Amino acid sequence: MEVRRAMRLERNPQLCHGCRTCELMCSFHHHRIMAPDKASIQVIRRNSDGAILWSVDSSCDLCLGENGPFCVKYCPYEALRSVTR
Amino acid sequence: MTELNIEGGLAGQILRVDLSSGTVSTEETTSYARRWIGGRAINSALLIDEVKPRTRWSDPENPLIFGAGALVGTAIGASRLSVDTISVYTNGKGSANVGGHLAAELKFAGFDHVVITGKTENPVYLWICDGRAEIRDAAHLWGMTTYETEDRLKAELGDEAVKVGCIGPAGENLVPGSCIMVDRAKAAAGSGVGCVMGDKKLKALAVRGHGSLNVARPKDFLKATDVALKKVKDSPAAKKMWQNTLAGVYAADPCGATWDFIILAKNGREECWEVEKRKRLLDPRNGFPKYQNKVLACFNCPIGCMPFSEITEGPFKGTSGEGFWVNTLMLASWLDIPEPEPIIKAWLLMNQLGLDGDFATAMMAWAFECFGRGLLTKAQTGGLDLTWGNGEALVSLLPKLATREGLGALLALGPIEAPKRLGQGSDYFCMHMKGQPTLEPFRAAKGWALGVATSPVAGRHLRGTVLLGSRFGPKDVNFEAHVYEGQARHVYWQGLAKEIEDLIGMCVYVGTWSGAYALEVSDYAALINAVMGLDFTEDELMLLGKRSRNLEKAFNTLHTDLARADDMPPRRYMEEPIPSGPYKGERAEEDKWNQMLDEFYDLHGWDKDTSLQTRSGLTALGMADVAEKLAAAGKLIER
Repeated sequence: MEVRRAMRLERNPQLCHGCRTCELMCSFHHHRIMAPDKASIQVIRRNSDGAILWSVDSSCDLCLGENGPFCVKYCPYEALRSVTR
Repeated sequence: MTELNIEGGLAGQILRVDLSSGTVSTEETTSYARRWIGGRAINSALLIDEVKPRTRWSDPENPLIFGAGALVGTAIGASRLSVDTISVYTNGKGSANVGGHLAAELKFAGFDHVVITGKTENPVYLWICDGRAEIRDAAHLWGMTTYETEDRLKAELGDEAVKVGCIGPAGENLVPGSCIMVDRAKAAAGSGVGCVMGDKKLKALAVRGHGSLNVARPKDFLKATDVALKKVKDSPAAKKMWQNTLAGVYAADPCGATWDFIILAKNGREECWEVEKRKRLLDPRNGFPKYQNKVLACFNCPIGCMPFSEITEGPFKGTSGEGFWVNTLMLASWLDIPEPEPIIKAWLLMNQLGLDGDFATAMMAWAFECFGRGLLTKAQTGGLDLTWGNGEALVSLLPKLATREGLGALLALGPIEAPKRLGQGSDYFCMHMKGQPTLEPFRAAKGWALGVATSPVAGRHLRGTVLLGSRFGPKDVNFEAHVYEGQARHVYWQGLAKEIEDLIGMCVYVGTWSGAYALEVSDYAALINAVMGLDFTEDELMLLGKRSRNLEKAFNTLHTDLARADDMPPRRYMEEPIPSGPYKGERAEEDKWNQMLDEFYDLHGWDKDTSLQTRSGLTALGMADVAEKLAAAGKLIER
């Protein structure tokens, strides 16, 4: 839990393509299934203007036990990173 | 192959909807998946098992089937939805394939496939959410564009995360070249699937799912995903695509082989669009890239090739939306319009109207050429000046095509009936394969042409076309585009690889065709085995691909009179050599074409004279039941 207090996720909106791979891999960390709705990170595409909305809730543990956050590791566009709070 | 025990990847249910009786029911996916795995192969199996031969596209019995790939929602790069039905052009196999976020949402809502039969009198839409489905009134949506429909449904359902696949005015007005638009910008466009949807008075599918998908072997899955993602990141082509989109890739190489080989010009008469015009369209400062303000990706896609554009000045100011594609370049070159603004406007308008870009481009280019030749007068065009390069005429003609007004009513008749109505030998200038308009090249790029000509869905380029060995075919095989020799083998391989991609819902741009070429069949085997808990080899996957292809072949045989002669190129490309450019003088030569066809049928084990399937070939594929159907119709070669 020390890690969780010390770090947070940051997204570069210029790089994010809205693919939602982060959601999938987040749910895989938590449950070993694919369930975007159960992910700590949520991404919604607004098709009317192409905006990509995102949020991270308090269930994010920065993938404790996984050798780094999955959302960061598997983001194909390198749009996410974990930074010091 | 032994009986498969599938432990992951699938949502588990097939949704059945009968619009005539207003009923919905479900059944398990497993029994179909054990034999066909998923995606288009299951759609094709449902069609061949459940539709009586010679059913027509507009009969209520014609099912409109949506099928998510078996790996959609799990494996990176898998986002695709296959839409299968009876083609409005051939009354044989109809199929369209679309990306976006709808297929994944469908699986998280609990369904791998949706089978829609019957028709209603009043417009309806289908609301699918977490294992349930409702047929709902859509009178208030009828007449709306695809953009308006999506906005309204999301507002009504109170959830921005709802995914929508819908038709626009073109589908409502039964224009054959109508598509089903997903997320506004992705089109399931071939075979007139939007026209079938319109005929059923089904305006939209709205889908929301909060469920989950199992992964059978989590450790293997992570390993296979690591390998896949590394291959994408190591692919120079993938990097180019996600940094610059497809348009950027073409802009960076205005003299490239793909331009010379596949982007025809002026209704296909010319094979080589002037380099200055290519540069004008895609110039970084004044061309299309000037208006691109972000790039978006389909679900779980590591490439992300779709730009979102906004025109900020000039007569088309205020135009904005997602979408600019290789086929958008063809719209420009076929009508000889190098200015980006009318092309962006027209492309987004087609998305809003639900028009298939290939259909609309080919029919309009036909009208432009007929106008130039004096076969079509200003009185017939409603005063429009259809001179090459007239972007305003293009933009004003599109809504008329979707609503069948004025000249649009003539074009909406399609490539067989419209030239008949106009007469004067104008059929020669209307480019189609088996009745479906086609923008594909047939003269310089031989393997590409063979793939198009033998496509089971009439003249489209996604079923085995190949160009250069560096971006097509097995990775270790290099080949050229403009020679006849050896092309049949590459086309055969590429066609089977595409079948596997459509079983699992993998995008070809991530996979083996034309784009990044990051993932190969060996990666598909690793991902399928990890997600579904199976033990396929590459060879077994190719066999599954062969089965899938043979299902479609058999469907066409049972439902149409299509024969070997229908796999020959359009007459124009056999008679007129390319007038200019690096491949000047090339044409489709009949004897050499016939040799390619012989070799292609041979590889598939089909009879060379008739192109029909054989009992031994189908039995070896474990498809004796399909052979029986063909035998009953007197269309099986008994050997």
